[in-house]
Amino acid sequence: MTTGILVYAHNSRSLDYALMSLIAAGLAKKNLNVPVSLVTDPSTVEWMRESNILEKATSVFENLIIVERPITDNQRKLCDGKNESMVPFVNSNRASAYDLTPYNRTLLIDSDYFIFSNRLSEYWNIDDDVLIGQSINDIYSGDRLGYNDRYISEVGINLYWATTVMFSKTPRAKTFFDTVNFVKENYKHYADIFRFDNRQYRNDIAFSVAKHILDGFINLDSGRLPPVLTTLDKDILASVEDNKLTFLISTPLGEKYIPASITDTDIHIMNKQSIIRHGSQLLEMI
Amino acid sequence: MSFGYLLVVSEHESVDYLKLAYGLSLSIKNTQREGYDKVALVIDNKEKLLGLTSSWVFDHVIEWNQETFWDGRSWMDQLTPFDNTVCLDVDMLFTEDYSHWAEYFIENSELYIANKTYTYRGEVITGDYYRRTFTKNNLPNLYSLYTFFKKDSKLAEEFFELGRQIIKNPIEFSNLFLSEHKPKVVGTDEAFALAAKLLDITDVIAYPLEFPRIVHMKPMVQNWPWPADTWSDHVGFYLNRYGKLKIGNYQQNGIVHYVEKNKIDDEMINILEEIAWKK
Repeated sequence: MTTGILVYAHNSRSLDYALMSLIAAGLAKKNLNVPVSLVTDPSTVEWMRESNILEKATSVFENLIIVERPITDNQRKLCDGKNESMVPFVNSNRASAYDLTPYNRTLLIDSDYFIFSNRLSEYWNIDDDVLIGQSINDIYSGDRLGYNDRYISEVGINLYWATTVMFSKTPRAKTFFDTVNFVKENYKHYADIFRFDNRQYRNDIAFSVAKHILDGFINLDSGRLPPVLTTLDKDILASVEDNKLTFLISTPLGEKYIPASITDTDIHIMNKQSIIRHGSQLLEMI
Repeated sequence: MSFGYLLVVSEHESVDYLKLAYGLSLSIKNTQREGYDKVALVIDNKEKLLGLTSSWVFDHVIEWNQETFWDGRSWMDQLTPFDNTVCLDVDMLFTEDYSHWAEYFIENSELYIANKTYTYRGEVITGDYYRRTFTKNNLPNLYSLYTFFKKDSKLAEEFFELGRQIIKNPIEFSNLFLSEHKPKVVGTDEAFALAAKLLDITDVIAYPLEFPRIVHMKPMVQNWPWPADTWSDHVGFYLNRYGKLKIGNYQQNGIVHYVEKNKIDDEMINILEEIAWKK
């Protein structure tokens, strides 16, 4: 059985997903010791060439899988510490992972999820066709998380985090990704049934709805990856030294920042701009 | 050794408790294994059964009118015709076969009272909005809506006798033992919890188990981010023709304590009846 990691990167004018995916892939490859493939598009590859990371990318990625850049009108508010901006999110093609992956068992990760441990290695041989991050753990405390970080809506189902998804090439996994795609294509309909806000497409919601449907409309304990340790976008990655990442963590009301450091711990960094600011130091870690 | 479910109803000015008991009994017949599907009904006036299409779902009918509905349940040990009994609230529905729960209790318990309930999403209910009396007075978190007992049990006899004393003397017991937060009414839940505490038998009659799994639909404990008066304002209640019940987006597989009495309407009864007739 072949195992590997899959990352998606479609650059936008605001964010250098190519760089982030390279860092995420390099760290994952180093710490999980499996190959990584990238799903990307021609313009993002061109940007890699312009920004002089293409050579590095071809050494880190086992495959560059070139697809059409998905058309999206998804705009989201993204913070960089206290600064806010609206940025496009070009990530609506995640359901294609089943068809595109070259591996029998795949770990699909977001490009802002950095793997510093081998914890997820324990899941390669779990007898589950599809596993998804079961929740997020805020690096500060649960106090900063909102209701919609736990459920897809006030009365709705649990929110799983597609930041980490592991799956096998099996009919059941194919059905799962087909269902994700069906939910995506009929997003408003499912928003009516599951009572979530449909104004912006969100992979986490589509994956959660698909899991809930295929689990028989109940919460199953199976099919879960560990909670995703997360720093929010109002937090700032302040320094990258040796093996240590230090963040300035915004307190719940945003009135001040407190420092927090991690080593050897997988981390989801929502403040993408602060990743890019430390791109060269992070690249040195891979 | 006989086993059965005991339901106690009496006249009420606004709620047709017999209809609820009928719905519950149909759901028991529809889901439980033979031998674990017997139902006894305690009712203040047998004549009312004439209005039911399939009153055969009640295997025993006991006419008894010494107490009103609420107080009547505390006499469950003296009213039951079974050697082993589970006394239930009537505003509930069975959605799957729970015969194995009964088998466990018959084998292992003289008296067992539910001590954990779940939201419709399957989360253990931890909120005490309706149970301040319990938390403030450090009472065990008992739910009399599912009470198993053996008829010949001395432990059960002593427990139910004290429970009746508490219900008959609510002011005295509240003043003495519930002073940190006095309930408006000392109901069966409060009386059973206090009796268990006074007899120091909580560990014997309410030890942790994964069952009975009861979904409790009181709205303020559903882990919603806002206050709610009635749960049906926020989530749907869907019983399909096969008797499968969904609440909101969740398939239910526990005993559902639906609380809102109007949920069992004629349409629901028709569905349950058709399943029972075809079984």
